[in-house]
Amino acid sequence: MSVDLSVAVGTLRLANPVLSASGTFGYGLDLVDLCPPEALGGVVTKGLSPLPRAGNPPPRIVETAAGMINAIGLQNVGVDAFCRESLPQLRQRRVVVVVNVFGETMDAYVQVLRRCEEEEGIAAYELNVSCPNVSAGGMEFGHEPQQLERLTARCREATEKPLWVKLSPNAPDLVATARAAVAGGADALSLINTVRAVAIDAERRRPVLPRVFGGLSGPAIKPIALRMVLEVHRALPEVPLVGIGGIETGRDAVEFLLAGASAVQVGTATFRDPAAPLRIVRELEAFCAAEGVGAVQELVGALAWP
Amino acid sequence: MIARRDMRVRLAARRELSPSCFLLELVTDTPFEAQPGQFGMLACRAGRDPFLRRPFSLAAVGARGEGTVCELLVKEVGRGSRALRELAVGGELQLLAPLGRGFDLATPEGGRLALVAGGIGLPPLLFAAERLAAAGQPFDLFLGAATAAELLLVERCQRAVGAVGGELVLATDDGSRGERGVITEALARRWASGAAYATALACGPTPMLAALTQLARSWGLELQLSLEEPMACGVGVCLGCVVDGADGRRVTTCKEGPVFRASELAARWWQ
Ligand SMILES: Cc1cc2nc3c(=O)[nH]c(=O)nc-3n(C[C@H](O)[C@H](O)[C@H](O)COP(=O)(O)OP(=O)(O)OC[C@H]3O[C@@H](n4cnc5c(N)ncnc54)[C@H](O)[C@@H]3O)c2cc1C
Ligand SMILES: Cc1cc2nc3c(=O)[nH]c(=O)nc-3n(C[C@H](O)[C@H](O)[C@H](O)COP(=O)(O)O)c2cc1C
Ligand code: FES
Repeated sequence: MSVDLSVAVGTLRLANPVLSASGTFGYGLDLVDLCPPEALGGVVTKGLSPLPRAGNPPPRIVETAAGMINAIGLQNVGVDAFCRESLPQLRQRRVVVVVNVFGETMDAYVQVLRRCEEEEGIAAYELNVSCPNVSAGGMEFGHEPQQLERLTARCREATEKPLWVKLSPNAPDLVATARAAVAGGADALSLINTVRAVAIDAERRRPVLPRVFGGLSGPAIKPIALRMVLEVHRALPEVPLVGIGGIETGRDAVEFLLAGASAVQVGTATFRDPAAPLRIVRELEAFCAAEGVGAVQELVGALAWP
Repeated sequence: MIARRDMRVRLAARRELSPSCFLLELVTDTPFEAQPGQFGMLACRAGRDPFLRRPFSLAAVGARGEGTVCELLVKEVGRGSRALRELAVGGELQLLAPLGRGFDLATPEGGRLALVAGGIGLPPLLFAAERLAAAGQPFDLFLGAATAAELLLVERCQRAVGAVGGELVLATDDGSRGERGVITEALARRWASGAAYATALACGPTPMLAALTQLARSWGLELQLSLEEPMACGVGVCLGCVVDGADGRRVTTCKEGPVFRASELAARWWQ
């Protein structure tokens, strides 16, 4: 049985619903030999800022039970280097590119979008709003609905391409932030980003990470991510969602689709298996064939609510 | 770049070398080659404990039949390395290799290579030593450890060095074998008595590398260091393994390293 793997995230059609998650696949070209990016539904870039950033001092990662905590600090090459060095190759390979954007001010987000708008070959933007808003006392953009609506609206003015807002699981009111992003003009919401977490070294009586806090990812957060996708989908059933958090298998992807996601992103799983995103596409196809699902799109939001 | 593969490997043999260290002989049907200094990311056990793969330097890589035999020299320090000690011979693991940038083994005109290994820093230098021996390139090997029991594979090192008429210099902190004191002091004594090294290749604990960097600077000796940082992906996509580079950039140990020229690293490495 042949399975139609294609999905639509709003107006954006993808050949399959599996994308690589931001910060776990470089700029899309590091794993061409192990996981060809053109075989995925799309690639989400490492978060880009107007200028290069060095990120946090090491150590930056800690392993946990069924996951890891990272404090990379948004190290990146800057939007200009990405456009000059990586984008031409991605274009040549016909990769569906989603540019992940962050900034410490609203202007910085807009600056990244403007630079990208000069280029061909970008399919959509994803705003990482788990970044401290320097001009508003360091509170994250994604934590305060009014800020988030303003930020989204500013970005909306800068582009006509699909605009995704990536929700933080650490926001005090998830559904309120989801509504704010949509009110600001988001075409889709991706969720979730990492969960704020701490690791402590018992012998040394110190936090393991120099900045104390980091973001938890991997299978440890999957049930939380599923719950959040489900909640946002039930509150805003018309809004396309991209599910993220601990996805390691085709089955995991199916669970997110059923909860209401139109597509999924694979992050930490790629560290354990560099071919994970591609393997998940195959497993998803096999699942559908075995279950008599002719088109993956049928699974989206198809959860039977008791 | 040598093609990397994510391979199924089978434990063909394990040899205990000291109370904490052992040698694994892994075989695979996949043909692959590597440069000394390159490493692999090994899933030490099926399932999620430990969650991430562990980086291990390739200590030897050679053809066996249609496939490859590859050796790892492991020190037991935690869950992953313990799982490797407990794995039954015949058991299978997943290995992504070869990764990263290895040593540049070219011998500069008129100079010798000095290979300097501290403790469990031996594996990449053992690989380099056997490669140099096979190519007939002269070198001396400096091997240091805390105690005689922790000097690993001495006879094998001796064979490699001997094949090209080089010297094997041993040192232990407690003087139980070889010269007493740290290995960098043994190197300094050779230098003082006129040994003309052009390049040193080194792997070992950070204090050893820092001391060596300082000596190499004062002597004008070119130095290549193999660094160890915690890693998640091993392939340059997570940015978890960075160190401070000389140019103010943060560089990935897994992709831009693990071997760096000392001049590529920020000054804090030897301060
Ligand atoms: C490029 C590279 C090559 C390496 N080659 C070898 C090798 O050939 N042989 C070998 O035995 N080891 C090597 N290591 C170190 C090895 O990766 C670690 O010892 C291993 O990851 C520990 O895993 P574990 O689960 O046993 O211990 P864990 O449970 O992860 O850690 C146990 C303890 O060891 C400490 N530790 C963990 N990783 C390191 C590290 N990289 N350096 C110092 N302390 C650490 C932890 O802080 C903890 O206290 C290499 C590391 C790198 C980056
Ligand atoms: C090392 C690392 C770096 C990340 N960098 C970014 C980033 O730059 N921008 C962003 O929006 N999310 C970033 N994330 C979050 C992931 O894209 C993803 O939302 C999260 O890890 C949950 O998915 P997972 O469990 O599949 O990894 C990063 C995650 C990790 C583990
Ligand atoms: S370990 Fe992931 S970038 Fe080096």
